Amino acid sequence: MKTNKITLMQYIFLIHGVQVGVGLLTLPRELAEKAGTDGWITIILSWLLTSAVSLIIIQVMKKRPDGTILDLVTYYFGKWVGKAATILFALYFAALGNLIFIREAIFIQAWILPRTELYIFILLLSLPTYLIVKNNITVLGRYSELVFFITIWILIAYLIPLNYANWLHLLPVVKEGWLPIVSSIRTTIFSFIGFEVAFFLYPFLHKKEKASLGIVIANTITMLSLLMITLVVYLFFSPDEITVFNEPAIVIIKIIEFTFVERLEIIIFSYYIFVISTTVLPLIFFAVYCTSQLVGKQDHSRHLLLFLILQFLIVLLIPPTVERNAILREGMNVVSFVFAFVFPICIWVYVSLHGVLKRGIKK
Amino acid sequence: MIFFRKYKKMQNSSQQTNNNSQTQKSISSELMDNVTEIKSIFSDTPDLVIRHIVIKQTDSKAALIYLSGITDSQTIYNHVLSPLLFEENKENNEADLKVSLGHIKEVTKWQEIETAILNGECVLFVDEYSEAFIFGTPDFPKRSLEDSPLESTLSGAHVGFTESIADNIGLIRKQIRNRELKIKEITVGERGKSKVSILYLEDVANPEVLQELETRIQKVDVDGIINSGVLTEFIEDNSYSPFPQLLLTERPDFAASEILQGRIVTVVDRSPNVIIGPTTFDSFFRTMDDYGSRWIVASFVRLLRYFGFFIAILLPAFYIAIISFHFEVIPLKLLFSIGVSRERVPFPPYLEAFIMEFTLEMLREAGIRLPAKIGQTVGIVGGIVIGQAAVEAGVVSNIMVIVVAITAIASFIIPNYEMSSAIRIVRFPMMILATLFGFVGIVAGIMILIAHFISLESLGTPYSSPIAPLRFKDLKDVFIRFPVWSVEKRPLSTQAVQNRRANSNRPKGDEKG
Repeated sequence: MKTNKITLMQYIFLIHGVQVGVGLLTLPRELAEKAGTDGWITIILSWLLTSAVSLIIIQVMKKRPDGTILDLVTYYFGKWVGKAATILFALYFAALGNLIFIREAIFIQAWILPRTELYIFILLLSLPTYLIVKNNITVLGRYSELVFFITIWILIAYLIPLNYANWLHLLPVVKEGWLPIVSSIRTTIFSFIGFEVAFFLYPFLHKKEKASLGIVIANTITMLSLLMITLVVYLFFSPDEITVFNEPAIVIIKIIEFTFVERLEIIIFSYYIFVISTTVLPLIFFAVYCTSQLVGKQDHSRHLLLFLILQFLIVLLIPPTVERNAILREGMNVVSFVFAFVFPICIWVYVSLHGVLKRGIKK
Repeated sequence: MIFFRKYKKMQNSSQQTNNNSQTQKSISSELMDNVTEIKSIFSDTPDLVIRHIVIKQTDSKAALIYLSGITDSQTIYNHVLSPLLFEENKENNEADLKVSLGHIKEVTKWQEIETAILNGECVLFVDEYSEAFIFGTPDFPKRSLEDSPLESTLSGAHVGFTESIADNIGLIRKQIRNRELKIKEITVGERGKSKVSILYLEDVANPEVLQELETRIQKVDVDGIINSGVLTEFIEDNSYSPFPQLLLTERPDFAASEILQGRIVTVVDRSPNVIIGPTTFDSFFRTMDDYGSRWIVASFVRLLRYFGFFIAILLPAFYIAIISFHFEVIPLKLLFSIGVSRERVPFPPYLEAFIMEFTLEMLREAGIRLPAKIGQTVGIVGGIVIGQAAVEAGVVSNIMVIVVAITAIASFIIPNYEMSSAIRIVRFPMMILATLFGFVGIVAGIMILIAHFISLESLGTPYSSPIAPLRFKDLKDVFIRFPVWSVEKRPLSTQAVQNRRANSNRPKGDEKG
């Protein structure tokens, strides 16, 4: 379409898509390590926190509804700060996108094709990435929307292991007090990371009055999927068993068997690549969007090509390992926390104070 | 080189201006001059008839000129020649020619005369007249109306378009007798000038889309348009896509129903296919029969078609991926039977699959080009004899033959020929990806397909609607065909100006009004 707008539904699924990615696969284990079987409460608490910050983001964006956060920063702090913010956001999205892209490839290698080199996966997945991201935000929105509806059955597949559920695993609720639950919010929150793309999506949204509703719905869908998979994993494995597996969310599917197909986890994980792509693609899109804004160009396909080539070269020259990726992810978590939680709150305080001060001067 | 090109260009342009000055010339009032001029324009044209006569009404010399193969000689004899030769003009009114024919035009330019003769009209030059008379008597050789052999139907109208534009427009008019049905005429082509007519409902079709189509057709610069497929290639959004973005049909009822939905139909002279646009992906999965049968049955068949679409694209790739990468996915018993069947086959699965798929495609092409009687023989020899013999000789496995056969049937179920060809083509890259990367390759392949699918446009409207810009209301007529009365709105993808098309307040059986 010529208008370059996204509908509310595309907005919801874009945000939800960025949130749910590879993190989901390891989340049950990470939660179980820290909070035991009470981890599911953490998910709900994190959801509350995330939704609150999401609403703050929308409040901030309402001040300058026609531009992205970059325009807003430029408006309040001037041209140079705006440029700096653009570079920072570009770096942040590029790093996050790259990290998840590589993680995706590592998981594919581990679970589906152990004998293929990592850079080949990067090359293979770069092709569809290029084809989708080179278009505008509308196409990306359509993609996220479509992928959500064609992958929703995966959640239903997770209901099957419930036949073997042991509900006693959850009891007693809050067995070790609230401290581990609250402290493990830090882990869970990173599964919700991604709502900060609302900073960039807001100006493209067709019906802006529903932005708050949309972002809460997106968070809720994310929360429900995380909650469901975590609960299924908790009910199926015993509390100690969970921590043995690296990705319990995949392992659990192994028990599903039909007369015509076994080892369903290979098929489902192959299909899960779609879900991961809805995380990676928007991140890469916003990275190249920022850089093309910096140069002042409309067309971002060259930057995209450059990004993908760079990424490929990095993987080719410094083959990533699981350990290094985990360390990078820990580091990235801190950065994400700053971008997704600290930054919105700070700028919100500034923007609202700015309004109050201005009014004060006028009086 | 550049100089040469420039020189050539100059030459070309000078040639054109020459032509123009020649054809822009007016005719002379001397009859013999005009006849000589005509003879020089149409040299080496044995079917040109020049008949010298003396008009009885005015006693002036005249010449009647036409091309014999494309004019209606009966009409010329009865309504032009005999009145001119035999009837007297009692009122002695010179300005009026007594000819019992509806379509008469007076022209002075040679170009118009040339076009008229080539269009099967006949021209009358009268001595001492500086105008020529053109009588509408065209009668191109044409076939009678008959059912379209490619798009056969059970319950639709048994009539297809022919090669005549007037008949084709008439067939559509017969379905939609409404004054809002407007026709825009454009001439395309340098040499074989062909008329292209755009048909649409003025109060329904989106003016922007219409404008877009019109400009695209006007921009076409080509020698001649032999087939509407050629025009399609000039005006479609993305020529590099395997998927057709404009629908070609031979069925007037289908074209009419698309017009009623707010789409625009382009009729091309001399081609039995009309072009429908803007289309969406699901348009290619519909037939007129869907609307002629009960909705539950129609929905079932339609779902079957989408199922067939996925099978035709993915099944061979899936087979290759499972056999060469992920055999642990198959349960042990099934694996045994596959293993037994593949025991004697010396080739790796992908080679086996490619051999069989190529054979099948060749068979299909051979079957289409051959006369119907031999075509059947090819089918039997190719399908049954080769299939059976290949398995017995141990060249391919039984399972592979099953896979290929199912794939073939699945691709035949798609009603639109171009779409099913596209699917056949897409299958091969999928097989290559599966050969290299197994399931991951297939998923990447599907992702590329989706990427292509959601960024495609047809006349500037999204091709993947109502699936990828998700429009729940439009989904009523995509996978499941809801009862016709319940689909109250025209599809949003047509961007129709008027949306209402039906009202669901139909009387219920027992209720008494």
